[in-house]
Amino acid sequence: MAVIQKKKIKSAEIPTSSMADIAFLLLLFFLVATVIDVDTGIGLSLPEFVEDVETVEVSKDRMAAVLINENGDVLLDGNIIAIPQISKSLKPRIESKIELPANKKLIVSVKTDRKTNYNRYIQALDQIKLAYFEVRDEYSLTRFGRKYINLNSEEQEELKEKIPITISIAEPEKVK
Amino acid sequence: MKFEKKRAATKQEIPTASMPDIVFMLLLFFMVTTTLREVDVLVSFKLPEAKAVEKIENKRLISYLWVGRDQRIQINDNLVSLEEVQNIMYTKRQALPNVIVSLRIDMGTDMGFVSDIQQELRKAYCLRINYSTMVKS
Repeated sequence: MAVIQKKKIKSAEIPTSSMADIAFLLLLFFLVATVIDVDTGIGLSLPEFVEDVETVEVSKDRMAAVLINENGDVLLDGNIIAIPQISKSLKPRIESKIELPANKKLIVSVKTDRKTNYNRYIQALDQIKLAYFEVRDEYSLTRFGRKYINLNSEEQEELKEKIPITISIAEPEKVK
Repeated sequence: MKFEKKRAATKQEIPTASMPDIVFMLLLFFMVTTTLREVDVLVSFKLPEAKAVEKIENKRLISYLWVGRDQRIQINDNLVSLEEVQNIMYTKRQALPNVIVSLRIDMGTDMGFVSDIQQELRKAYCLRINYSTMVKS
């Protein structure tokens, strides 16, 4: 009687020593190909489009009118001002209206020429935003002892109500 | 006198068997976080810089609109004319009601052109916009 023997399986091994190298190669590829670009920018809400615009009278001391002409010169309420100075002169005006009701808060109106450079406009807008952010930070520091970013969402909402950012973008004037 | 090098009796090897696992873990992390560029930007532009910037938290809501140095507009993968902006953005808004339009506009553009685009966006009811800027350090 023949003895049935089990075949001995030769040990089959995949060499794994180079696995790390391969993985590193893949890793490098993804490291190089990754673009972690964060979208940063200045947020704004446009008004709804309406055919015939109603004009509402707004009292002079609620308004801060920023005018930028085609040469990049800036007027703040009729006075020539350098762009880096905008936030400084807006801050006290925002601060003075913190305790006022919502319909008395400051409105910043930005108006440009059609030929105004976009970069100048962004610089001015940046200054206005900066003024608001600094006021918010200072107010939350005195009230909660923390900066605005470190507040919880409820407190943030409260602060947003106290210091709302109202920026009105006027349509550029047509060149005659 | 004979000098002999002192050798520690213990093995001096770092176990490398788990190295692939560690590397694969890193690899997986990068694979998951990577967003490969979906669109080719056809226009050349240089973003302005600003200090008071915010991050857009919800990337899913963003829809991009590029304006190049030569005043060409790009939405998605193709260049479009100013008149087409309204229609395209309106369909986008219908698909995604609270879309944020990220405007990547070259810093040398005239404001007239920018506001023309804004008018089109207003007509398309895309009211949340974001002027994309670099962060000034």
